[in-house]
Amino acid sequence: MDDFDPGLIPICDLEKDEDDEVSDGGSSKGSCKLRLPWVKPKPAEQHKLQHGFQHSTSICLEQIREAMLHHRWEEAAEYMACYAQIIEDQDTTHASQYKEVVWRMATEILHHHPKSTIEDYNSIYERMKYSGVKHYLMICLEHSFHLLLHGWTEDAKQQLTAAESWRHGKESAGQLHRLKLIQAYRSLLDYITWCDKKSTRSNNSNWESDENVIMHNYFRQASVNLKEILKNPGVWDPFILCYVKMLEFYEDQEEALKVLNEYAYDDNFPPNPNAHVYLYQHLKRYNASEKKLMKVLKGLHAFVPSHELMLEYSSLLLQSAKEKHTHTALGVLLDMLDFSCWRNNLDVWTRLKAVIQELQKEADWEAVVAEKMVTRKDWWWSALHFTRFHLSKDAEENPELLKIKASLTKILCPDLPLKYSAEGQNQ
Amino acid sequence: MDDEDTVSFRDPCVQCSAVDWGISDEGRFFCRSCHNVIERTREVVDTSFLFSSNKISSIGTGPTTTTTTAERSVSWLACEGFQFILKNQADALLRLGVRPDFKDGVLCPLWRRFLQKSRQAFTHNPVRSTAFTASGMEPEVESGTDSVWSLDALSDGESNLSSSAADSRSDWSESSDAPSSQRRGRRRRRGVLTMKKTLALIHVALMWSREPLTLSDLLRLVNEGHVPYVNAHQDLPDQMKVAGKGAMLFKVETVPSHQSVYKEAQALVLFLQLPAFPPISGQVPLHPALLSLRYLTDANLPDDLHPWVCQLMEHVGMQDEKFHTFNPGHCSVLPRHDVLTAAFIIITMKFLFGLDDRTEWEVTNKACLNDDSGEMFNLRSWYQLVQTALTRAQSRREEDAARRQWKPHKPIYFRRKDRCWVTKKKRIAEQVQLCFEKLSSRPAGIQDHRPSTFGFCWGDGVDSDGPALHHARLAGILTQNTSFLFPSNGSYWHSGIRDCSQRNCSSHYPSLQSSLPRSFVFLLELFSFLLDVAPSYLFEEVLAVERKIFETRSFGTKIRQKNSDSALLNIND
Repeated sequence: MDDFDPGLIPICDLEKDEDDEVSDGGSSKGSCKLRLPWVKPKPAEQHKLQHGFQHSTSICLEQIREAMLHHRWEEAAEYMACYAQIIEDQDTTHASQYKEVVWRMATEILHHHPKSTIEDYNSIYERMKYSGVKHYLMICLEHSFHLLLHGWTEDAKQQLTAAESWRHGKESAGQLHRLKLIQAYRSLLDYITWCDKKSTRSNNSNWESDENVIMHNYFRQASVNLKEILKNPGVWDPFILCYVKMLEFYEDQEEALKVLNEYAYDDNFPPNPNAHVYLYQHLKRYNASEKKLMKVLKGLHAFVPSHELMLEYSSLLLQSAKEKHTHTALGVLLDMLDFSCWRNNLDVWTRLKAVIQELQKEADWEAVVAEKMVTRKDWWWSALHFTRFHLSKDAEENPELLKIKASLTKILCPDLPLKYSAEGQNQ
Repeated sequence: MDDEDTVSFRDPCVQCSAVDWGISDEGRFFCRSCHNVIERTREVVDTSFLFSSNKISSIGTGPTTTTTTAERSVSWLACEGFQFILKNQADALLRLGVRPDFKDGVLCPLWRRFLQKSRQAFTHNPVRSTAFTASGMEPEVESGTDSVWSLDALSDGESNLSSSAADSRSDWSESSDAPSSQRRGRRRRRGVLTMKKTLALIHVALMWSREPLTLSDLLRLVNEGHVPYVNAHQDLPDQMKVAGKGAMLFKVETVPSHQSVYKEAQALVLFLQLPAFPPISGQVPLHPALLSLRYLTDANLPDDLHPWVCQLMEHVGMQDEKFHTFNPGHCSVLPRHDVLTAAFIIITMKFLFGLDDRTEWEVTNKACLNDDSGEMFNLRSWYQLVQTALTRAQSRREEDAARRQWKPHKPIYFRRKDRCWVTKKKRIAEQVQLCFEKLSSRPAGIQDHRPSTFGFCWGDGVDSDGPALHHARLAGILTQNTSFLFPSNGSYWHSGIRDCSQRNCSSHYPSLQSSLPRSFVFLLELFSFLLDVAPSYLFEEVLAVERKIFETRSFGTKIRQKNSDSALLNIND
């Protein structure tokens, strides 16, 4: 039916087409130019309850969904106005489901509709918040995010403060969870205000002046809450960064270090490589000793062998000029090269070459290399780096890399006959 | 401590729609959920607020309440409420063009007869029925007594009944038989009033007065809102508060299907023990002979088909008025004129065109081959026109269904404690609706369209669904033999027409649908759209008529002309 023009076709045209052909409804005997639209009967079960509240609302929902999927936002808004009656349904079994659907769809439509204003958002959020108890906290949170994104920081903070003190019935685990989240974000908002105040204050003012006192107040509020929050196991990356930043500003290194150490090393917290990264960055800022830095990076290496900080780790190990460390450095770099993202990175290969050179000063360097390569000795590692394809590609794109890699083939994979060499590219 | 001051103030908060008020130190009212402070203060609790009409409040605490305002609620029975609703429905029909005698001459006596038979009025020993008290709410029932949904709530109106009986004694009242105890239970069930019964009553009354409104027309008017049904309780006088357990009777969220109202009407007619209806002869518009003209026009089929439809009816022996009139002695099944007429038309088309996805196109080709004037009826062009119009109309109907608003402006609640959250939900829904109406600048709900008997509009006008084919000639598909015309098509097919012996089997259509010829299925869809019934319903009717056709002959023999005057069939097996 797609290529059939639903407009009216004059009768005489039809008859010209059908002169000497016997054509059924749709079969193509001979060359039938005209295709009649197919009958598409509705399935027989659909006719059961055609006129009712349930039927109307389910069709309306489908229409909204279709309109949203095809980005017809004005149409979606029209149907949404008609769908609002579902909230009045006195059947309580699906009530919270419907409210959630209305909340989410309404906000989505507002996001995309060209004429939506902040008042519309506020109105919808306020209504849906008080429509029931199950979603109150999440809607509060979303509302405050929205306000924050549009610059209404004060209002966002107000929302979260109101939400924080809200309790309903027995406190369920889910409720406590969400309340913590709300607390955390409120402190984040305090931090944002603190940043604002910090940037706007004049540099020559007295530490105890009024505007600074306000700033300090925010700091106190934020830090108290954040400290509270950070005691709970979880992934609190953005929050911990804010906290540490504030502490660094007030030069409380001890506290910052303590917090970061706990975050990285406490077993109750889920394993989080970012924790080690933050700790490392902090230590670097405060010129900690190399030993400490290496210790942190060792932990990170256990988590994420392909992290970019591994380059720094290998440099540190090399600089320390200890034999054991050189062996570790070799291991670290080879671990990095196990991942294809580092395959074409000149830095890694250069460092590897430096490590090998350092290693070659020892007597039994071959054994060491062989030991490290034992798990990689099957063809897969060489297939990752040293095939003819790589040869041609590297020759085109990165001749320096080609040189370094070529020099290392014999050392790393002495037994395999590899075509990867500077001379081999002429073949 | 301030609860006794705030308990009387039950307004929902403007900001959060909750009803949870406290009193601040200054004596102002504030909302406990959202801390919104309002202007109201403790000292100025003006009782005149309680009686203004746009605030929700309870009126009166008992029969001793005397108020000076215009609003004064009364105790009333369910049947009184239904009487009002029936009156409104009848008025709507009168406005639509039904003759004035319908309301007072037909519907009213029928209603009184119903009340008498169900012993809710006009009788010496009335049965207890649902009552609505003056406070608008039933007193909370102790758990030892009746269950919530029992409709035998104590009526406080023995006096009410006798007064209404005294007021409106009519010459229709017959002496009530002393009901025997065995029939009491069944009768009471039959006498229970529901909203669906009002429709059934109106349908019976319309059939009695031989108005050309069939059941499908009536249901279409209800769906479009021209006849009050959904939320009809909103039109009750303000003094009659709809709340409490009995309010369930007035709450409807679906419009019943053709089949269910028909069953209800059938049961009603037997319950009321009505005499024979006025006969529906061939001149009455309800008779299939005339009704088929209307359906042929609506389906854009040529007028030439009409004599063939009539011939078919005569052939089957159903031209006679006794098949189309209810008569307790002879024909105790309420006739379904609309569905029967549609079935006749479909079968006529089947006879003339074959409708097996092959014959009809061959026949049409042959017919239009030599047609230079364009006068011949071309099934192909008819199909294209009607198919596009049907698809458009079906999607419009779906869109209207999606947009329809079902909830009343005055929500019904069944228990006093539900009032708060029901009102709150209503306010929230209204606010969300307002927000999106403003955004889309299109009000929710369907725009009223004028009522129409026809589903499609064929003609040359701007709003028409397509050109009209009513004047096309059928001569091309007929052949002349001596002085009679025969259809060129010589074959006829039908599905299994033997009555299914399973009791719970309503229709075999769902399983057969995929194997039936598409043209036939299309016709079924078209007429089921026009009548707003399920295609399986219409299919069963077609089978019933076919059963009648072939019952008069034994299976396996050749069917010849019935007599020399009716040259209809020349079927070769």
